[in-house]
Amino acid sequence: MPLINLPAFAGDLLADFERRNTLRVDTPVIQPAEPFLDMAGEDLRRRIFMTESETGESLCLRPEFTIPVCLRHIETATGTPQRYAYLGEVFRQRREGSSEFYQAGIEDLGDPDTAAADARVVGDAMFVLANRLPGERLKVTLGDQSVFEAVIAACGLPGGWQKRLIHAFGDQKQLERLLAALADPKSPGVFGHDVERVAALGMLEDEERLVAHIGETMKATGYSTNAGRSPRDIARRLKEKVELAAIRLDKEALGVMRAFLALDLPLADAPAALHRFAGKARLKIDDALALFDARVAALARAGADPGLMRYRAAFGRPLDYYTGLVFEIGVEGTPAVLAGGGRFDRLLTLLGAREHIPAVGFSLWLDRIEQAIAAGRAE
Amino acid sequence: MTVTIALPSKGRMKDEASAIFERAGMKIAAVGSDRSYRGRVEGWDDVEIAYLSASEIAREIGSGAVDFGVTGEDLVREGLADADARVDFAARLGFGHADVVVAVPEIWYDVDTMADLGDVAADFRARHGRRLAIATKYWRLTQQFFSGSHGIQLYRIVESLGATEGAPASGSADIIVDITSTGSTLKANHLKILSDGVILRSEACLVRARKATHEGNPVIDRIVAAVRAVL
Repeated sequence: MPLINLPAFAGDLLADFERRNTLRVDTPVIQPAEPFLDMAGEDLRRRIFMTESETGESLCLRPEFTIPVCLRHIETATGTPQRYAYLGEVFRQRREGSSEFYQAGIEDLGDPDTAAADARVVGDAMFVLANRLPGERLKVTLGDQSVFEAVIAACGLPGGWQKRLIHAFGDQKQLERLLAALADPKSPGVFGHDVERVAALGMLEDEERLVAHIGETMKATGYSTNAGRSPRDIARRLKEKVELAAIRLDKEALGVMRAFLALDLPLADAPAALHRFAGKARLKIDDALALFDARVAALARAGADPGLMRYRAAFGRPLDYYTGLVFEIGVEGTPAVLAGGGRFDRLLTLLGAREHIPAVGFSLWLDRIEQAIAAGRAE
Repeated sequence: MTVTIALPSKGRMKDEASAIFERAGMKIAAVGSDRSYRGRVEGWDDVEIAYLSASEIAREIGSGAVDFGVTGEDLVREGLADADARVDFAARLGFGHADVVVAVPEIWYDVDTMADLGDVAADFRARHGRRLAIATKYWRLTQQFFSGSHGIQLYRIVESLGATEGAPASGSADIIVDITSTGSTLKANHLKILSDGVILRSEACLVRARKATHEGNPVIDRIVAAVRAVL
């Protein structure tokens, strides 16, 4: 491993990781590009360094560690629970800053006790950052994908709209666009001539006839009915869309969602505030809140300073494998994010694990931590 | 300083571009044989013509190796990051019209807008074990349109350098982003353009590389003015 620019504190950091009961792993710098593009989407393509093998396989320089560490876990068929730590270079095309830099972090795989594992990982991140930045006041921002999903579901929106909103969680602009579209009674659904025709034939009410009609048309026009979307997929979503077009969010429900997304308060006050919010809006979100409460309690038990943590309801990450807790940590009064992480219970299955493996983890931006240390010294 | 204008080396683009320059009082003569890749402009000693392939022209303007080029806006925007900062679309020439569009199978009754496509893409992995696949040769335009303008991240691009419109029927991709002028090829392949799926209305343009040496060079302004005057 090239040691240029390796932060001076790397050794101490690794010792901290070991103290937190993790297994240090390394992964090859050159990785197959497919899993990254598959998980993060095409937009990642212009932010990573890609190349091709002689045989045409797409390869990239490791842009992050979570996916390689999880793939390695699956390939080596290691049992769970298992806690991994890593420290190494990652490579990304960035507008600012160097395009090769160090990241380190922990991936905590397979603990069925969600609240305890969440608290442990947030505690890990706070512990190692506090050791690097003694005397600085950390600020931890927490969000929760599952509470958001529960609120959306409890508002009584149809499935299609729930999916749209959940998909936009963490993307403030997109979420605002969708809420505006939901609230605006003028925006019509768009249907083509063909839909008007099948509606006139009465097929929209009869799913089997519609499926048969779509299947026949596909065969007649040379389309395979099993390579991609099947006739039933199309028929079902058409019905869903007809429902979507008819639904408008009433002022009250919109107000409830906006009030929820505006929640931003000390974590210690969040459980009470969420219960109050749910009670006032008459939403049944008990399961999600129970997990939230359990996590707050577990954080307190783990000894994490509750005074440093805030809950922000709108804080999320627009990637479809995050499932619950999301968090980031910085130094109070500065904008830089030094650590970011969350729960990704779906990722290992998406990467090919045979059984469900719950997972939570975080990564540290070592270059930014170095800058924060230097800024602290300068003061 | 000699000003270099890159023109398409063959086909209708070459003929139409040459006709416009001739109307603008810039008659182009080949240097040497008819098939030479160099040309000059009668009466404009400080201007030379380089004949290049259409996609090369975009690259050469981007690098500043030529001063002007005539090529499709789609090729320039696809070939260059931050196109507007690096080049100036000095004139739209009124030929070579083609739209870069998002097209899906006609039978997708439930998909008429990008928002519909976003819904389908979000679910695709769970239903089919893979991401929605888009066949295209327009990587950059597709990414900008899907990710930037419509917040759609979950899809994969399958590179396609020819017969893109056949990809959905053959199963090698689900939808396409491609160029169309009349829409007849799309129709023949049972594809429809989404109602908000026009990414770019492209045509042939006179494109200038933004170069510091162009500041205050009267020849640059004269070329632009001459071409604009005959459009």
